[in-house]
Amino acid sequence: MNRGLKGLEERVLSQGLCTACGACLSLCPYLRSWQGRVVKLHDCGLEEGRCFVYCPRTEVDLDGICQKEFGQKYEKVEMGPVKNILMARARDPIWRKKAQSGGVVSALIDFALRKKALDAAILTPREADFLPEGRIVRDREDILTCAGSSYVSGPTLEALHKGPWQGEEKIGVVGLPCQAQALTRMRASSLERKTPVDRVGLVIGLFCTWALEYEQFHAFLNKRLGQSHMIKLEITPPPERLLKIHTNGSLHMIPIDEIRPFIRKGCQVCPDMTAELSDISAGTVEGIEGWNTMIIRSDRGEMLFKKAEAEGIVESKPMPEDHLGHLGEASLLKKRKAIEAIQKRGELLQK
Amino acid sequence: MNISQNTPGKVALLMGNEAIARGALEAGVKVCAAYPGNPSSEIIGTLAGVAEELGLHVEWSINEKVALEVAAAASLSGLRGLCAMKQNGLNVASDFLLNLNLTGCRGGLVVVVADDPGGISSSNEEDSRLFAKLGDLPLLEPANFREAKEMTREAFNLSERLNLPVLIRSVTRVSHARGNVTFDELPQSSPKPGFDLSRPSLAFPPMPNHKALHEKFERAKKIFEESPFNFYRGPEKPDLMVITSGSGYMYSLEAVSNLKVEERVGILKLGTTWPLPEEFVLRHLRRSENFLFIEEVDPFLENNVKELFAQNCSDLGVKRFSGKASHTVPDVGELNPEIVTSALQTLLRVDYMPRPEEYRRRADEAIAEQVPPRAHSFCAGCPHRATYWAVKTALALDARDGFVLGDIGCYSLGMGPSGFFQMKTLHAMGSGTGLACGFGQLERFGLEQPVVAVCGDSTFYHAAMPALANAYYNGANFLLLLLDNSATAMTGFQPHPGTGSTATGGMAPIIDLKAICEVLGARVEVVDPFDIEEAVETILRLIRMERGVHPVRNSSETLNHAEEQGGIISNGVKVLILRRECALVSGKHQRKLFRIEVDQGRCLGEACGCNRLCTRIFKCPGLVWDQSTGKARIDEAICNGCGVCAGICPATAIRKEAVSGGDVVS
Amino acid sequence: MMLLPKDPFNVIIGGVGGQGNVLASRILGEMLVAKGYVITIGETYGASQRGGSVMSHLRISEREPFSPLIPEGRADLLIALEPVEGLRILGPYGNPKIMTLLNTRPIHPIDVISGNATYPEASRVIAKIQELSRRVWTLNATEIALEMGDPIFANIVMLGALSAINVAPIDRQVFESVIRDLFPSRTMDENRRAFERGGEVVEEFHPVR
Repeated sequence: MNRGLKGLEERVLSQGLCTACGACLSLCPYLRSWQGRVVKLHDCGLEEGRCFVYCPRTEVDLDGICQKEFGQKYEKVEMGPVKNILMARARDPIWRKKAQSGGVVSALIDFALRKKALDAAILTPREADFLPEGRIVRDREDILTCAGSSYVSGPTLEALHKGPWQGEEKIGVVGLPCQAQALTRMRASSLERKTPVDRVGLVIGLFCTWALEYEQFHAFLNKRLGQSHMIKLEITPPPERLLKIHTNGSLHMIPIDEIRPFIRKGCQVCPDMTAELSDISAGTVEGIEGWNTMIIRSDRGEMLFKKAEAEGIVESKPMPEDHLGHLGEASLLKKRKAIEAIQKRGELLQK
Repeated sequence: MNISQNTPGKVALLMGNEAIARGALEAGVKVCAAYPGNPSSEIIGTLAGVAEELGLHVEWSINEKVALEVAAAASLSGLRGLCAMKQNGLNVASDFLLNLNLTGCRGGLVVVVADDPGGISSSNEEDSRLFAKLGDLPLLEPANFREAKEMTREAFNLSERLNLPVLIRSVTRVSHARGNVTFDELPQSSPKPGFDLSRPSLAFPPMPNHKALHEKFERAKKIFEESPFNFYRGPEKPDLMVITSGSGYMYSLEAVSNLKVEERVGILKLGTTWPLPEEFVLRHLRRSENFLFIEEVDPFLENNVKELFAQNCSDLGVKRFSGKASHTVPDVGELNPEIVTSALQTLLRVDYMPRPEEYRRRADEAIAEQVPPRAHSFCAGCPHRATYWAVKTALALDARDGFVLGDIGCYSLGMGPSGFFQMKTLHAMGSGTGLACGFGQLERFGLEQPVVAVCGDSTFYHAAMPALANAYYNGANFLLLLLDNSATAMTGFQPHPGTGSTATGGMAPIIDLKAICEVLGARVEVVDPFDIEEAVETILRLIRMERGVHPVRNSSETLNHAEEQGGIISNGVKVLILRRECALVSGKHQRKLFRIEVDQGRCLGEACGCNRLCTRIFKCPGLVWDQSTGKARIDEAICNGCGVCAGICPATAIRKEAVSGGDVVS
Repeated sequence: MMLLPKDPFNVIIGGVGGQGNVLASRILGEMLVAKGYVITIGETYGASQRGGSVMSHLRISEREPFSPLIPEGRADLLIALEPVEGLRILGPYGNPKIMTLLNTRPIHPIDVISGNATYPEASRVIAKIQELSRRVWTLNATEIALEMGDPIFANIVMLGALSAINVAPIDRQVFESVIRDLFPSRTMDENRRAFERGGEVVEEFHPVR
């Protein structure tokens, strides 16, 4: 089996499984992203390459990886390695106002940078065109450009390979579950590292049920909204589940089912809702606005969170029992659906 | 060799095309026009070089039809005119030619068509002699450079005797063969031109004109009966007679001599192949029972002689004809001595061994083992390579299976490896743009692929301007990439209306490509293809541009009119001019732009992260792969120093250093 | 007039488009016409200029013109501007008596550059050419031309070498008069130097046994 670009093309790109995480980009001149898509420009021909090995949508030995990363097997638990699950929010209202939910992620990155636990972090800015990409941030002002969500996945990780880096910086990454998976694969790979994979000292994963295909979704929005300028997108929690679009002057509500067709195929086979392979995972809290669900997973994640709490950057409280239950159910549901989707694809492929 | 010298008896080494030019000069030609096309280009090129000295008008016309019209005007005014073209060119000029045959002409008018058997440098393989038959026009076929000069001179006389344009059909191995040619005298006087008002040149009404044409045709037959260009060489009663014309004559002589069958084989060489000198041919048909036709491309002589035989068979008895119809000779491709030799061997059952069998076997084995193929490619530093690289990148990123419609020029190589197989259609001059006019209408039926056409600057003036006007008028949606390398590069860098100079080196006004495209209604942008990233972005932006309202230029009245009717004028057609001078033209007045070097330490070679992008994919002949070091390096003898490769290297291992000293060669 | 070893004496000049093959055949032809011979040259033009294989066929006679294409197996002298192109030509046109003058500097075709084909060791190509020729002379004409500042001089270097090996009736005087006729505006010095250098460096090749 080819474990290079040919394999990536056959097993991921041509199957529509790419999530545009960016792990394979800016490593070579053969792959490039455009409009939220990863495109193969030329045939590479190598038997093995970083593009394939780093891709979160190729087969992987999860037990092996988890053994190396966390010193334990990929347990058949609901949501990966867990040290603690709690609710938290940033104390400084600037983060809460700008960011989704409790603003904990932005606040933690800001804190890590200020404390020199990190020298730089890779975040995903939300530009006027809502097309995500990775951005290297080094201070608070930079972080503030990266708050909010576009519900579209984008090649955040490309920034890790592309730089530019200033010396031997310690790097933090905030990304989706697929991106956290890709980072784990990069670390586990025995291929020569040409990019600062080993300097990634913190991974904060964002909960994700799916992401949308940029081009189709925005073609749809353009049709619905005409020329009006979008300012913010958000999806309201169940049972309402509406896409709220703030434009200059008005608010549009679109039932979530109308945008489901734009969900990336690559997300349908993803078993990971809670970014299991990160140091800390963050999401919303169902029914409680202004707070984040936080899953503390690794020692270094725990250390950072505790320090931040001790210095009054974030505050936390225990997660209510029924919320914990729902979170587990939702996580398992995604795993189950993914396994079904994978099996179905297998059948399709056999035909 | 200066062909303008009036030095009768002087021997010069002339190419067939130069000999044709000299023949025209010896006939006192005054007006010469052509559009360049191999293998005809040197005829007008040579005449242009002596035009000023000899007081001629020589021009590169915008296309072959106009060229023929220009030369015909000279004839209609009583002067002698020459028009030259390749076989495809006659297709373009044929509309005029097949009316001009009806009106006839006055001063000698000679149309030289150089066919390219095998299509060595053409998009097609075509026998232009059929146009002589189609138009009842006299046709001459020179066998070599000597005859090329003589025939051209005589063709002018013949044209004036018949008041008809005369066709000369050359082929590559006549036009591009070189040899000793003896000069004759150049005439010193010439008539004063004037349009005779009592002799209008009106094709209408066709029927009486057609009748008059047929009468001229009969006269031509009689004249050809006596032509010195037709002769027989061989025994009184040969076992086999080769009937041949053009370069086939030289191959036949060579084959007969190599096979040592001079006693058995005669050669009937025809120089006036339409209309056939019937009595002459019939006389020779009586010499033998067996005939072999040797001629380039189509069985023209073969069919015409058979037709003549059919009319006279009761008298002639049984004859056996071999040639293309009997598959004794291949029905496609260029002739050569071997084809004729092998046909004679088959018919005569003689053995022939040009060299020991074992030598050929050893040579072939060595070649199979050691000699790599050598495909054509864009030159080092060619802007087209950069353009197709940008096109490939843009269409891949766009991901809607956009496709490129092309046509004739150096950029035709875009269909092959050095253009990354991007060009998907190749037909006639300007046809890429014309096809795009049609593909650009298919959205309404569900075509979702972006439509892109490519066209060179010279080709644009030649044939794509009407297509672009059509695109705007009918609202076709496509992107035309105008590859402006400021030269008719394929045929030898002839000037054209965009270059600012004429065939004879004089200054000319520049017909600005951008302005003309804008006037024809297109949205126009210009990029330098060497700036690959900008070219990619621009192509992407233009192919993803929605149709929309486009203000009508020049006249506010027209705009109002369109609005009143509620019509939306499409801006479907977009033009991107990729402007960068041909590397070979630049090389004539400039040293390299950059000195290029591959930093052997940085070059990633076959490692992940590159895997030889520059040599394996980009494939400029100036960058070679060094197997021993596993790195790329520059071949100093080939590299033109354009620096494009430095921009594609992922490891910044290819360094370009501006060449100091002002670039311009004194 | 030097007596031709054979009439017609058939010469092929072969190389790669862009090497100035046509110019070399033209200059050689002009020299021979100046010496009183009847010459026929057939050359490949057009698309072949663009990096493909190119060939010029010269027929030298004391009597008459011949076909512009040399028949199979009938070349008497091969002037190869590039090694594998020389070998390629020996297939259809070579014979045990052929003499070969070879520029040993390779030009890689794009199939080799791209890795779809390999270029053989130069020494192996030369050995094979030697096996298929009666006599072989070699020189790196491109290197000399590059030293002179322009690879196009390789042609002139080759013609100088040809003159030195005494297989065709040409010499420096006729070379200079032809160059003066063809390129009146250019200086003679560089051309003369290239011609002379060719004569100095050309060596008959003897295989190591």
